[in-house]
Amino acid sequence: MHSSDAVREGLIALLPRLRRLARALAGQVADADDLVQVVLERALARSAQWRPDAALDKWVFAIARNAWRDELRARGREQHLFAPEEAGGMVADGSEARHAQQMELAQALAMLPPDHREVVALVLVEGLSYDEAAVLLEVPVGTVTSRLARARATLQAHLGNDA
Amino acid sequence: MTAIDDDILQAYVDGALDAVDAARVDAALAQDEALARRVRQLRALDARLRAAFDPVLDEPVPERLSALLQPATAPVVPFTVLEGGRGAGAVRRRAPRRWLLPGAALAASVTLLAAGLWWWQSGGGWVRTQGGRQFAAGALTHALDNELASEPDAHAAVAIGLSFRGKDGQVCRSFTVRTPPARAGLACHTPAGWELPVLGPAVPSEGGELRQAASDLPPAVQAAIDARLGGEVFDAQQERAARAAGWR
Repeated sequence: MHSSDAVREGLIALLPRLRRLARALAGQVADADDLVQVVLERALARSAQWRPDAALDKWVFAIARNAWRDELRARGREQHLFAPEEAGGMVADGSEARHAQQMELAQALAMLPPDHREVVALVLVEGLSYDEAAVLLEVPVGTVTSRLARARATLQAHLGNDA
Repeated sequence: MTAIDDDILQAYVDGALDAVDAARVDAALAQDEALARRVRQLRALDARLRAAFDPVLDEPVPERLSALLQPATAPVVPFTVLEGGRGAGAVRRRAPRRWLLPGAALAASVTLLAAGLWWWQSGGGWVRTQGGRQFAAGALTHALDNELASEPDAHAAVAIGLSFRGKDGQVCRSFTVRTPPARAGLACHTPAGWELPVLGPAVPSEGGELRQAASDLPPAVQAAIDARLGGEVFDAQQERAARAAGWR
């Protein structure tokens, strides 16, 4: 099997998780799926670079994280905090009470700087270990844990202690 | 490790402590209510994040994304819009059989596995009653809310047939539940949910191909459609637009 076929079939299986990660990074459904599209295109174009002994999910997640950084740079608002009304649409459906909760969470996530938000997305949403996140982000493990602690403190402050 | 600080509690919650340190935290939590409360707060935040994002795993993947991963050899057969108010069985018989091509079938089975597992796990409560009226519930609501007949999913538990705006202005969709006991019915969108004016046993099509080819609509469902059909059956674009508008 060509590596491009292996990558393509791996991506099919990975697609739901990739969409979840993208949603956690980008917030908006449309932004997240645009990000997924870029990631799929890049992963397919670079499939020759993937070594079958490396975990495909980490390789693809790293592409996603870098693509999202590129997108933020292109928008020129890496430090920009989304206006509250922009933070909606994170999850497509649900009751009104649930929607209000989602909006509150979306706003809290939008408060996070990108390097905090990506740690939340990788560790808390995708379930990567500290070590895996550190390798993916190319930072020391201590940086991952300190970003995570600060991100949690920000979220907790915004959401209240009952989260 | 000496004092149990917030970093250690975080590592505890994230499962990043070794067994010895985790046991020390366990022991401390049993005696220190403040620590125990802090752990509950951390866990509550994690649970809230998962509750917000895990449902993405069950959402239908947009066609523009899955299309990028189609093998180059898989033929893409355009969906044929049905003319007039015919049964879903007619749609199904004309639906492309591309899933049966070896490469595409493998790819499709992988991509649909996650969704399929979810369907099976959440099976059961398809229907609820409220005020003597019958409404879709659970996985059936999810399918009616999200699935498009123009993007048929041969493995999904629910097959959507026709969608149209009825004489009373409600959007209605015919559907077939493929998992036993197979059912077919009509759902019309109301403020209280998808009301089911008719729901009955599905009639297997020739060869009993319930899983692949779906089933013909029972006469009662066909009659319910004919009674409500005011204008044209939605084409792929109208169906998509109706979904975007929340089927209102």
